Amino acid sequence: MKTYFLLLSPRYFSLLNRFRKGEEGSVMKLLVMLLVAAGFWTAIMIGFVKALAYFKAVEGFGQVLAQKLMGMVWLTFFALLVFSNIITTLSTFFLSKDLETIHASPTSLESIFWARFTATLVDSSWMVVFFGLPVFLAYGLVFKAGAVYYLHLVAVVVPFLVLSGAVGVIFTLILVNIFPAQRTKDILLLMAMALAIILYLLFRMMRPEQLVNPDAFTSIVSYFASIRSPSSPYLPSYWISEVLWPHLVSRSYSDSFFYLALLTTTAAFCAVTASWTANLLYGHGFSKSQEAARKIFSRTGPLDVLIYFTSLPFSPASRAIIAKDTKTFFRDNSQWSQILLLLALIVVYLYNFSVLPLKKSPIPTFYLQNFISFLNIGLASFVIASLGVRFVFPAVSLEGFSYWIIRSSPLSLKRFLWTKYWIYLPPLLIIAEVLIVFSNYLLDVTPFMMIISTITILFTVFGIVSLGIGLGAVYPRFETENIAQVATGFGGMVFMIISAIYVAVVVILEAWPVYTIFVAEHQGVPLPEWKLMVIVGCFTGVMLANTLMIYVPIHMGLRSLEAREAD
Amino acid sequence: MIKLVEVTKRFKQVRAVDNLSMEVNPGEIYGFLGPNGAGKTTTIRMIAGTLKPTSGQIFINGQNLEKNPTVAKQSVGFIPDRPFLYEKLTGFEFLRFIAGLYGVSNNILGQRAAELFELFELTEWQDELVESYSHGMKQRLIMSAALLHQPKVLIVDEPMVGLDPRGARLVKNIFRQLRTNGVAILMSTHTLAVAAEVCDRIGIILQGRLFISGTLEELKAQADTGSEQFEEAFLKLTGGHEEQILADFLRITD
Repeated sequence: MKTYFLLLSPRYFSLLNRFRKGEEGSVMKLLVMLLVAAGFWTAIMIGFVKALAYFKAVEGFGQVLAQKLMGMVWLTFFALLVFSNIITTLSTFFLSKDLETIHASPTSLESIFWARFTATLVDSSWMVVFFGLPVFLAYGLVFKAGAVYYLHLVAVVVPFLVLSGAVGVIFTLILVNIFPAQRTKDILLLMAMALAIILYLLFRMMRPEQLVNPDAFTSIVSYFASIRSPSSPYLPSYWISEVLWPHLVSRSYSDSFFYLALLTTTAAFCAVTASWTANLLYGHGFSKSQEAARKIFSRTGPLDVLIYFTSLPFSPASRAIIAKDTKTFFRDNSQWSQILLLLALIVVYLYNFSVLPLKKSPIPTFYLQNFISFLNIGLASFVIASLGVRFVFPAVSLEGFSYWIIRSSPLSLKRFLWTKYWIYLPPLLIIAEVLIVFSNYLLDVTPFMMIISTITILFTVFGIVSLGIGLGAVYPRFETENIAQVATGFGGMVFMIISAIYVAVVVILEAWPVYTIFVAEHQGVPLPEWKLMVIVGCFTGVMLANTLMIYVPIHMGLRSLEAREAD
Repeated sequence: MIKLVEVTKRFKQVRAVDNLSMEVNPGEIYGFLGPNGAGKTTTIRMIAGTLKPTSGQIFINGQNLEKNPTVAKQSVGFIPDRPFLYEKLTGFEFLRFIAGLYGVSNNILGQRAAELFELFELTEWQDELVESYSHGMKQRLIMSAALLHQPKVLIVDEPMVGLDPRGARLVKNIFRQLRTNGVAILMSTHTLAVAAEVCDRIGIILQGRLFISGTLEELKAQADTGSEQFEEAFLKLTGGHEEQILADFLRITD
């Protein structure tokens, strides 16, 4: 037991030191993060309270729906937790840098297993627990549950987490013995990505918006029947539902103890099985995860040719950075695989425009099409900002521990940042223009709207990319092992907030002028002089906002990087 | 070639380097010695341009590092003690990247890269990802990169870390050859034997201050230990009490 706590102590002390360190602005960062988390928490709570209150009000049918929803939520959490545990197990059991020291020490494999198992559980579960809590509190509130419900809630959560953790660990231990850990991580990542894309596309193609369209219901009876059918009794989500539900609807809860016992014993059994599996397979798997495969790379592949021609206009130093960043991106599976998600996002984005029921609207189609086209500028800009936070914002942090190479080289930081800017601008510009041009084409908008949208988004992307590079330099995380985490930090949040404000300013400044020109053009009436002057003023404002957005963030990033010292 | 004028570096309350002035001439190997935490790596990193001095000036090849960083850094080759590299590039791609940063043309790159890979015994590995290299191979790749643009100044932090005896001998020979070619080399090391073997002058830094500087013979004379061993002189000059502490710790003396 002492060894178990000793093995977990570095995590505890690291966490403690992070709070003790008292970096400049860390209290502020923590406060903002807490506020955002509280916002999400409250939104989930309110959403579920409203939905459940609505369900409850529907006689007979409503309660079935609420119970079904509870089962679905637990099932979703179970799937999420198992997957999250698999990914975390790969890091905590096989890829973590401190493992070599731990394995070289005279510590039993069993102690290592239980300490790492606990760490895995905490790392993969805290977020689900935090954001899941308001859901089940909402159930308690709406159904006016007593203290017994909340006690049972606590009683089911612990075995539920242990069970999903144990399943994840067993699965990973077996996988790593078949493939090396690094390869397993890549395979899982691709599988998850493919699964998410398929589910996303399938869900969208099912056109869920038709559920609120009464014409779409051919047989309400068959729908009702399908919803009444029970879930599989072998799933833990079913057991939990059977433990908690009786306490919500004052039903006899004689079965409740049985299912609680079933859940607890299964969790304990799975944890012990995971420990046995670790005794059998962990040593071999860990040894295998240390092996690296050799692979020869060609110097004149298609990517080299592409990089050569696209970087021709740049200086040799910038070309070197372009080549390095592009190759690193395409050789890192966790990076390039996100392009697949991006493609799915574009397909669904455009698909949404193709199925808009414009003709059913009471507003004249012609106005509506152009109105949506205008709003689309904001929407597409926001999509670009979301891509920006994932790809552009981490661009500086991507240098990682190798940042010393840049700092000790004759390359100026100004050129370094502008090169990064030019690396990320073209792909985002292409995506933005594809979104705008194709959606406008699907909407069949006027040439004026087409021109104004394409030009507006063009300059907005220039600004968003600059904001990403600039703030990425103000909040770099060179020490991070997982580059995807860079976007989720405080800097990423600041980037999203400023992007949203920037896009809103552009859209608000353009709204009145665009509407005025559009109406005048449609009615064939010339614009009075004062209106023309206001329009010019508004567009000048937009240009000013764009210019500021292009220069200020990179300038700030430059100052910040210059003041910073490389390790 | 390398000139430090009253350079100070503070980390909050700690004075890591304190009013340090020194000079390394062309064709000279200067060994920078001192116990852990004495300020060797901080000084090396300030000269390499990855740390900024709190006060004082650094000149490389006559150029003020703060005022003309681009020109000054063009003459420098830097070999850090920890080989952090871009893991997803191959060895050759890494050298091509460095060539881009230091303005080495493609024609020269091909020839120089082949020579350096041959010299550092990396030819077989040049088209494989850096992530598959061992620690020593990464260290040799960094050395290749530092020498690619034929620098006039070479700054080396712990040159022998991670190298096998064969690699260590190779590095010592390379340093001697570079000295003959007029390159100024500043290296920090804990390995007294290496310093004694290759350095023309040695500086000992203690608590951020240059405690003593001179040739090996001058240092030995100053220490006046009567021993031929440089280790004895070093221990005496740096306080010498570490030896007693070590002996007490190991309980080999009574």
